[in-house]
Amino acid sequence: MRRDLPALVLFGASALAPLTIHDGFLLDSLILILLWGAVSSAWNIAGGYAGQVSLGHSAFFGLGAYSAALLATRWNQSPWLGLLVGAALATVAGLVIGYLANRLKGPYFGLATIAFSQVLLILASRWRAVTSGSEGIPVPFRPGLWTLGFSSKVPWVYLVLTLAVGVYLISRYLETSRPGYQLAGVREDEDAAEALGIPCRRLKVTAIAASAAVTSVCGGLWAQYVGFVDPFYVFSVDLSVRFALNSIIGGIGTAIGPFVGSLLITSLEIYLRATFSDFKAGLVGIYLIIYGCLLIVVVRFVPQGLVGWIGERARAMGRYARA
Amino acid sequence: MPPRRGMVIAALSFVALALLSVPLTRSAEGQVLQGEYKIGVLEPLTGPLAFEGKRHLEGYEIMRDMINERGGVMGKKLTFVVGDAVDPTAAASEANRLITREGVKIITGTYSSTLCGAASEAASRQNVIYWESSCVDPRFSRRGLKNVFRTEIDGTGFGWYNVEFIAKHLAPRFNMKPGQIKIAFLSEDSSYGQGVTEAARDRAKKEFGMQEVAMEYYAFASTNDFSPIVAKLKQVNPDVIHHIARGNDAVLFWRQSREQNFMFKALVHAGATGYGSPDFGKALGVEGNGPFVLAEPSAGLRLEAFRPEAQKLEHDFTEAVKKRAGTEPYASHRLAGAGLWLLKLVLDQAKTDELEKFRSAVMSLDMPVGSTLNGWGVKFAESGQNANERVQHYMLQWQNGQMVTVWPEEFSTLRAKWIPLGPWDQRK
Amino acid sequence: MGAVPQLIVSTVLLGGIYALIAVGLTLIFGIMRVVNFAHGEFLMLGMYLAFWSFTLWGLDPYVILLVAVPIFFGIGLLTYALVMRGVVKASHNVQIFTTVGLSTALQNAALVAFTGDFRFVRPWHSAVVIRVGDAAFNLSQVVAFLVAVLFTAALVAFMKWTRAGRIMRATAQDVEAATLMGIDTDRVYRLAWAIGLVCVGIAGVLMSPLYSVYPTAGLQFVLLAYVVVVLGGLGDMMGALIGSLIVAGVEVIGSYVFGSAWKEVIYFVLFIAVLVFRPAGLFGQRGAETLGA
Repeated sequence: MRRDLPALVLFGASALAPLTIHDGFLLDSLILILLWGAVSSAWNIAGGYAGQVSLGHSAFFGLGAYSAALLATRWNQSPWLGLLVGAALATVAGLVIGYLANRLKGPYFGLATIAFSQVLLILASRWRAVTSGSEGIPVPFRPGLWTLGFSSKVPWVYLVLTLAVGVYLISRYLETSRPGYQLAGVREDEDAAEALGIPCRRLKVTAIAASAAVTSVCGGLWAQYVGFVDPFYVFSVDLSVRFALNSIIGGIGTAIGPFVGSLLITSLEIYLRATFSDFKAGLVGIYLIIYGCLLIVVVRFVPQGLVGWIGERARAMGRYARA
Repeated sequence: MPPRRGMVIAALSFVALALLSVPLTRSAEGQVLQGEYKIGVLEPLTGPLAFEGKRHLEGYEIMRDMINERGGVMGKKLTFVVGDAVDPTAAASEANRLITREGVKIITGTYSSTLCGAASEAASRQNVIYWESSCVDPRFSRRGLKNVFRTEIDGTGFGWYNVEFIAKHLAPRFNMKPGQIKIAFLSEDSSYGQGVTEAARDRAKKEFGMQEVAMEYYAFASTNDFSPIVAKLKQVNPDVIHHIARGNDAVLFWRQSREQNFMFKALVHAGATGYGSPDFGKALGVEGNGPFVLAEPSAGLRLEAFRPEAQKLEHDFTEAVKKRAGTEPYASHRLAGAGLWLLKLVLDQAKTDELEKFRSAVMSLDMPVGSTLNGWGVKFAESGQNANERVQHYMLQWQNGQMVTVWPEEFSTLRAKWIPLGPWDQRK
Repeated sequence: MGAVPQLIVSTVLLGGIYALIAVGLTLIFGIMRVVNFAHGEFLMLGMYLAFWSFTLWGLDPYVILLVAVPIFFGIGLLTYALVMRGVVKASHNVQIFTTVGLSTALQNAALVAFTGDFRFVRPWHSAVVIRVGDAAFNLSQVVAFLVAVLFTAALVAFMKWTRAGRIMRATAQDVEAATLMGIDTDRVYRLAWAIGLVCVGIAGVLMSPLYSVYPTAGLQFVLLAYVVVVLGGLGDMMGALIGSLIVAGVEVIGSYVFGSAWKEVIYFVLFIAVLVFRPAGLFGQRGAETLGA
């Protein structure tokens, strides 16, 4: 229970926020923090808990975004249905890539996932008949719960919060359950795990598929929130990197890590962009330089992530205090 | 997890959230400081579209200064607050910020079709007016949104004009009927290229019965060699090539066509990129003679064809751009300038930014071609789209290292040459 | 039939360009086992070096080539000391994200410093066309190809016959054994990194007359380079050269037959197929990919 305290604080504060904060910009920031946190947490299922560091998760995000958008525009269905369809498609995609890339380790795995996401990008941007090609899909805004159209930010906060809590609980499940322990074994030492009779391939592929499904749900919600699906963005390598990034900075393989990472990175990004936008246009890129350098520094000196680092500090403090 | 670590993390999260709100929580400033009217401007200022976004913003700023010299908007000084819309998420987010933090009631921008979708969605959900001056995605104005307007032509318009030129101006001069023309389509595959090309293909086939002999999309960023494409096109022997290029691909294709002695009667492009960029002339000089570009006017424009007030506007704008940017106005400057000027006209008439009155003022504008900057007229449809026929576009041609205006003939002092294109080394 | 000679010529020349980029990457990947996501940005820097030298001082890219070698070697040493040294022994995630951070920082530094405008380098030779029978090609392309081949040959010779080369290969095969044998692995890595950057920097200079120069120019080539490198086998230089030809061939012939819209799909699918069936590449040792961790 104590372990979940930070999550309780974070999610609790998020739940209470709309009651006290009415500023649209802050609420929008909160929604983005929670959304990116949720996707990163989904990535973490494969990357952190199963040890499969994927750099192509935007493939699943894009599948979810397109499913929601296409079902809403072409076939006039509710985007909720789109979320389900997207999850189904992404599960299949996850199974495929998980199976194909099963023997690959480290950078090879990462490269395979990148290639996969880029193939989907090309398909989406060329298959005009279905996806409108490079022009992307504007997602219509129809007010109502069934059509996921909310003009106020408040329902979005709670919607994304529910998603975030859901993914968090999945991660916690992986920390305390038998399949989770087996997965940890696969992650730490696959040969030993294999020797112990753990079904490594099945576990890895399942983890990737589950991760894919949740990622795609996030993509579907994103499409409804932002209102435009651009293939070059939703399938981009930049986006894949972002998902992995939040988890790594926050603490890979921990349940709260991705959210902490997202809190830091997303708010920093929003804050810096808001501050620098009014400068002479040429100087605006400075915030991205800061971002890049920060990444290098954090990843080098705090490789276990913020959560891990805080944990160590706290333990050290504890030891000191007791002595 | 030992209690301590949990507490520390909890405490830090709280602190982080609190700290977040401190710098970001200023009281949302009032919309109007005495005598000023602030609007939001969203542009891609970082990322791959940055150089175009920057020019677009520059056009806005130049026109804003011109407007302030001419009485401002609604009698107040026009000021901007700028947001960086680097991708759709940022576009929506920055739109939100400009609305909630800066209190703007009108947002303009956004250069790119993929960004304007997200930005206008965000604006419309908060009942803020969105005044688009550049993106061309046809679906933009078909969403039934009452507060979304666009001053620039609709993407189908580019393809429309191109085919118009090919069918009505070129075909007779080839001694061919439009239906006899063999047309090859080549295009970079971004949303712009696809939008224009598909509209052109549609009109070419349905209205004129032209024979489409090739259709090739390519990825601008990773295509560094057109020889396979040129080889393929040579075999189908097109009369006209409709090529939408984005940058150096125009130079590459033209050069490699020359290297392989690929002969065709004309090449037509649309837009300020690729063949429409001054860089094409810089790269090829007189070897670049021949291609037609649908774009905003340039040298050879017959200003006398404009109305007097438009002539003055055109002249002042061109001078201001030359002074600030050191070049003739690029298309992005012109699109921003024209869009902002039209906004001034609307606001001056409506005297408010309240939606109903704003809309009536928009719908009431009705000026013929030649009335304002770029020789545009204005007439908005109910959908908020400025009529394609009023957004006058011009066909330019590369002649001797320069793009000159050659069509429509009443607006140009110069005429198109080399119809059809002769041997490569004889186009002088 | 007339198209075939042109296709062959295009393949060879394009392959030369890809080889130049891939050779540096395969060296870094092979010896340091680092996926260098910032590789494309160094290519971009090479292009800008050529651009600014040409624009400000009228220097031809081929002249700049001589200066580029020490400049990029220096940049390599600097970035190694500042950024890479600390993460060479770290986990893959750390390495990947370090280079990703480097990539972001460099791209945006270029954007801020040079603006996002597309730039071009147009020396006299970029317009010179050489015709052989039915095929036509460009002098700049030919030179890029020749330099690529020369460089690769020089590197192969270096790796095979010099002491330093042998030391580097030994380190690549087994780091611990190398350390036990008294090899200073830090110096090996530093050298590999610096040489890798020199290769890609030179590639940038040579390519500047052929492509647009802009801050995100590296992106389009980096993924391609990875396809080449994996196809040819990690750390194998000859593999990189042959892989380049194969990928270039797929691209050229694929564009011709299927239309250029689908050519990237073809080589990405090829990439995935290689990764699945023969991840060690055509020339790598079987099973090398499982040692990748």
